[in-house]
Amino acid sequence: MRPLTPARLALAFLGALLVLFIIGPLLKLLVSTSPGGILTALHDRELRDSIGLTIITATAATACGLACGVPLAWLLARTRFRGRGLVGALVDLPVVVPHPVAGIALLLFLGRQSAVGGVLARLGLEFVSHAPGIVAAMLFVSVPIVVSGAREAIAAVDPHLERAARSLGDSPWRAFRRITLPLAGRGIVAAAVLGWARAVSEFGAIVILTYHPRVASVLIYDRFTTDGLGAAVPAALVLLLLALAVFGAVRLLQPADHR
Amino acid sequence: MIRLDGVGMTAGSFALRDVSLEVPEGAHALLIGPTGAGKTTLLDAIAGHLPLDRGRIELAGRDVTGVPPEGRGIGLVHQHYHLFPHLSVRENIGYGLRAVRGAPRPGQSARVEELASMLGLAALLDRAPGGLSGGERQRVALARALAPSPRILLLDEPFAALDPATRQQLRRALRTLHDRERFTILQVSHDFDEALRLGTMAAVMVEGRIAQCGAPEEVFQRPATPLVATLVGVGNVLAGTVRQDGPEEAGRFPAVFDTGHIALAVVADREGPAHALIRSEDILVTREPVSAARNQLMAAVERVHRAGPVTYIHLTGAHPWVAVVTSAYAESLALALGQQVALTIKATAISLL
Repeated sequence: MRPLTPARLALAFLGALLVLFIIGPLLKLLVSTSPGGILTALHDRELRDSIGLTIITATAATACGLACGVPLAWLLARTRFRGRGLVGALVDLPVVVPHPVAGIALLLFLGRQSAVGGVLARLGLEFVSHAPGIVAAMLFVSVPIVVSGAREAIAAVDPHLERAARSLGDSPWRAFRRITLPLAGRGIVAAAVLGWARAVSEFGAIVILTYHPRVASVLIYDRFTTDGLGAAVPAALVLLLLALAVFGAVRLLQPADHR
Repeated sequence: MIRLDGVGMTAGSFALRDVSLEVPEGAHALLIGPTGAGKTTLLDAIAGHLPLDRGRIELAGRDVTGVPPEGRGIGLVHQHYHLFPHLSVRENIGYGLRAVRGAPRPGQSARVEELASMLGLAALLDRAPGGLSGGERQRVALARALAPSPRILLLDEPFAALDPATRQQLRRALRTLHDRERFTILQVSHDFDEALRLGTMAAVMVEGRIAQCGAPEEVFQRPATPLVATLVGVGNVLAGTVRQDGPEEAGRFPAVFDTGHIALAVVADREGPAHALIRSEDILVTREPVSAARNQLMAAVERVHRAGPVTYIHLTGAHPWVAVVTSAYAESLALALGQQVALTIKATAISLL
């Protein structure tokens, strides 16, 4: 180890400030609730339903993201086509769109009054104030995470391996399924888990599209505004624990040098 | 059979320009050329991994120009092996078998075992490719390519990264397999000795074109262009038989190499049919025979070709010879066409292949 110079001490101090700023509030939230409070929260039917809805909708959004996102990720990682750069940029666009803005845009696009929303509603798929609206909002915000993660994972697999498989008689799809998918699997699953976590944490877009039924983040906001901080804390803590569990899972999935 | 007809394409900085080549069924053709000549690009184009701009490719009599790689029935061994890291050695070798057929597992594993034992991989079948040595990986790649019994085998510098002993071993294994299964081989190499040793045919590639193509001895003896000559080194190749002519010591013995017209004293390590390779710089040309030299022949000057500081002397006699001497020495000899000169060759300068 190099000796601690004043400059390095200053750098370490600034870094420590930031780390404390992250840990502090989360620790405060953890200690703000007694074990009894958490137990009560876990018995709270409304909260349980809302967590269940959150998990189901986030899983549905992640599944949609994977089903369309992995093929797109393969195209972006492996092929050269006209407009590839543009497509790559568009996929990342939701990152910079403020969430309420995304909610408003989705409301305009998927509401009964719009052409697309009208057709889907006639087919029985209602978005506004229904669970599919939550899925749509979650999908919109998690697409960049799922696609860019899957793209990176696929790009990390040597394309020559797919070529070797092709020469051994595999169709492009078979070569992808037998070679690239298993080798990129960890990375794609990690991207899916991160996308899922992003979906669970979404609030701004969901609250505009579908206030009811309430996902966990909306329920916490609801309790905070109607019954105050004390009512919101146990629900917030449960959601935080869920997020921490996902975080742990992602760390386990990532290769050691990324940790 | 591999037939290329006016093949042209560009891939990054590599280009193929009007490549036409025919490798007969069952032949072992060597594709030789300097780095960057487009040899690997040509193999990738034949395998279907790079689209052509022009020309057509015929494999075993079938036009495959627009056929995807999986429909070409080619075994391809790349210089960097490209083994599947998530599969065992056994699964790597058997990979192409499952894709071709439906379910016959016993038959397929019999083929895997057969190739594994021929290539000395039997003990490694359940290992992961990650822990294998370079030679072992190369053998797995060869077994994997050959498992589906392709009619055509494309090899990209398969022996380049191996130590000499392993190289020798793998060459022998490849020859045994080739003798048994009679597939057509096109092998990229930058080593011309390898062509003389292994090939029934040699094609020299320079800057995306085939500069010369023919029997390896012919290319070696009569390079079509000065560039080919510098690539392969001009020399003399004789076909004949080796006969022991003295006691063996340290695995080698004095012997006579006999072509039927010429008998040369050589040092050999085995008897039987062989090729003798004599580099043109190893032939001493004198006006009169040199006393006490054992390998001494008379030949007539056919052609003298001066290339700057060196001069090539082509001679006829019992065998067509080419010798290279300094131009100053050639002048001092004052050679006339048809003149008889003496050729002296040191026994130790004759390599037997």
